[in-house]
Amino acid sequence: MAAKAREQADLLGEIKARFMDRLSPSTMRSRVFWKTVEGLARSPLNRPQWKADRVSLHHFLQATRDAYFKRGPVVWANLLVPSELIIGLGCIPFYPEMASAVVASAGLAPRFIDRSTEGGFSPDACSFHRCALGCAMEGFLPEPDLLLTVNYPCDSAPLSFAYAADLYGTPHVIIDVPLPGRKDATRLLADQLEEAAKKLAGLSGLTQKDMEEGLAQAIELSNQAVRHLKRVEKLRKRLDCTLDGKDAMGNISVLSGCLGSPAGVEFYRLLAEELEQRGCRGGDSLRLMWMHLKPWYSQRIFEILDRHGVRVVCEEYTHACWEPMDPRRPFPSLADKISSHFLVGPLERRASHLVSLARDYRVDGAIHYNHWGCRQSCGGAAQVKQALLSAGVPTLLLDGDCVDEREYQEGQLSTRLEAFLEALRQGPRREALS
Amino acid sequence: MEGDKTVAWFCTYTPLEILDAAGLAAVRRFGDPASLQAADALLHPAMCPYVRACLAEETRKAGAHHAVFVNSCDAMRRLYDAWKAAFPEAFVYLMDLPRNLGGLAEEILAEEYRLLMEAIREFWGAEIALERLRDANLAREEWRLSYLAQADGASGKERLRMAMQAHAGGATEAAQDNPSQPGGGRRGQGVPVLLTGNLLNPEGIVSILDKAGAEVVWIDLCNGDRGFSSSTLAEGSDLSGFLAALAASYLQRHPCARMSDSGRRYQLLTQRAREAGARGIIYASLKFCDSYLYDFPRVQEMLRREGIPLLRLESDYSDGHVGQVLTRVEAFLEMI
Repeated sequence: MAAKAREQADLLGEIKARFMDRLSPSTMRSRVFWKTVEGLARSPLNRPQWKADRVSLHHFLQATRDAYFKRGPVVWANLLVPSELIIGLGCIPFYPEMASAVVASAGLAPRFIDRSTEGGFSPDACSFHRCALGCAMEGFLPEPDLLLTVNYPCDSAPLSFAYAADLYGTPHVIIDVPLPGRKDATRLLADQLEEAAKKLAGLSGLTQKDMEEGLAQAIELSNQAVRHLKRVEKLRKRLDCTLDGKDAMGNISVLSGCLGSPAGVEFYRLLAEELEQRGCRGGDSLRLMWMHLKPWYSQRIFEILDRHGVRVVCEEYTHACWEPMDPRRPFPSLADKISSHFLVGPLERRASHLVSLARDYRVDGAIHYNHWGCRQSCGGAAQVKQALLSAGVPTLLLDGDCVDEREYQEGQLSTRLEAFLEALRQGPRREALS
Repeated sequence: MEGDKTVAWFCTYTPLEILDAAGLAAVRRFGDPASLQAADALLHPAMCPYVRACLAEETRKAGAHHAVFVNSCDAMRRLYDAWKAAFPEAFVYLMDLPRNLGGLAEEILAEEYRLLMEAIREFWGAEIALERLRDANLAREEWRLSYLAQADGASGKERLRMAMQAHAGGATEAAQDNPSQPGGGRRGQGVPVLLTGNLLNPEGIVSILDKAGAEVVWIDLCNGDRGFSSSTLAEGSDLSGFLAALAASYLQRHPCARMSDSGRRYQLLTQRAREAGARGIIYASLKFCDSYLYDFPRVQEMLRREGIPLLRLESDYSDGHVGQVLTRVEAFLEMI
């Protein structure tokens, strides 16, 4: 087993040294590169855990390729910008934060993070953004026609996009989301979205009618996708559900970047179907909730969880927390979608969302991964922990970095995690607590 | 609880005239930089040290703990959350602040002012009439001009202390109480530099600049001259018109790096440096402040184009080891 793992690590190391480290900006713009990557993604060599993963992979590869080849106006967006707005208006969304996760998974993040440090960015800032900016400085990212940010979940997105806007000489639109519960919040936000939509429609050359139809269609597709996602959520609440958080965590990219496209519908439809078909695997494992994101360059934490018979049954960021949208009222609907996100506004919404998730998914414990430089998340971790403890959910705060593997303290992290899991195993089960 | 009318504030976008008009004593908190680790149990150590110092100090203090926060950054919002959890009986209020300028942003901010007034009325029963608001607004303008007049010619450390005293509700008499350090740069007594960044401890980097022989001609910090650099005088024939004008004036002030109009900020920075005869700019900021961490590379690039020398320094707010930067500052001053 160990020999096989070593062999695999050696192979990956060789691939990285021979191919990945030699990637250049021109490679990203070469047809041969994309033909090869898309071919590999379709080939039997690529064996994803779930059929649905093929759909999302295909969607993102196609969209990213199109962005490099400028087959439509490219709009950079952060995670809370509704993808329906961009897709519905005939633009290609590009998510630099997601790109950083991909770069980290490929083991390439240190090179780009170092580049951003040379450019003056402090190591105390979020490595998702530093990595993306480093890629941008080296010319690795598709040039935007417009940058669009929502002022949540964090400050880093509007701030780092402002740098990118200077770098590319491209306009940057920031959407100010009013605090939850404010009178006229929907209208004020909808007005800003409509303003942004006109800019996007201007880029893609859409008429007012095209714009209305495109948005209505995107919202309808988004609603369909969320209906399937609700089925997935229902299935995952079963004690015997086979979808593990280590695979499901990546679905944040689908939730943020695919809604409004046929791929979003197909992804969640296939996932729900397959979950129903695969059925039971036995419900004796301890159940965990994962908060914030995972380190994208290593599966080590999940190997430890597997060894202890512990499964991540729900993740903070992979749920739809908005009501079905009205395709005839795109801007108020999209405004409500953004406003209802639990990361908008004070922490109490996030804490209460997490306590509800913990109850609904009957978790035995929770882990909050404190990504270095993430003020919105780490800043509230102590209070989230307190809220979960009050609800009877033992919670571990693990310090680390999602993107920069050099900040991953393997020994310290494993020791804390193992101790937490031991204590969890000896404590009362969640069923007894709820 | 409602009896104590002292209200803490933290961000210079707080509409002080509204608090004044309600008969409240608005006092800016600066926290205790020496004990900021005491907040670690409530806020992650990789959060803004100013925010942590404020929380650390407040949890040790007796009092009503009333506070108005501005949703200006992640750290401030998290401070609001922690404060609210720690002092559930107090008046703890979060006011929103748009990043954009323009009509929609002004509408959002004016509504925020109205909501703040409503919350104050509900908690304290204090109705704020337009006349009182106008008077308070005028008094704040006089307060601003008075600071600028008194601070003129003071050394960096003196100016910063005076600004902080004014924010904390006291008289700006620090210049008389604290004569300038030996070698420290009162007007015409050193190499003129402009200091920019977020917020600093007057005992730290600013003292070092004085000691190294710099004449700090302008302190573009939110606890320094920047807090006084723009007028917020407003006019309006009725309350809603006045609040709209007040919102516009706050959004138009010399901006913090969190605002979207960075081009104007950079223009004001270089203009101020030239007008004040600064030979270089010291960019000094607190660790973990994202607004300034992402701002620095842009400022660096802009100043390179403008040919203005730049030195970057970083502060942990307690500045226990700040003496180590003396050599760097001396070398920079020598170079410019």
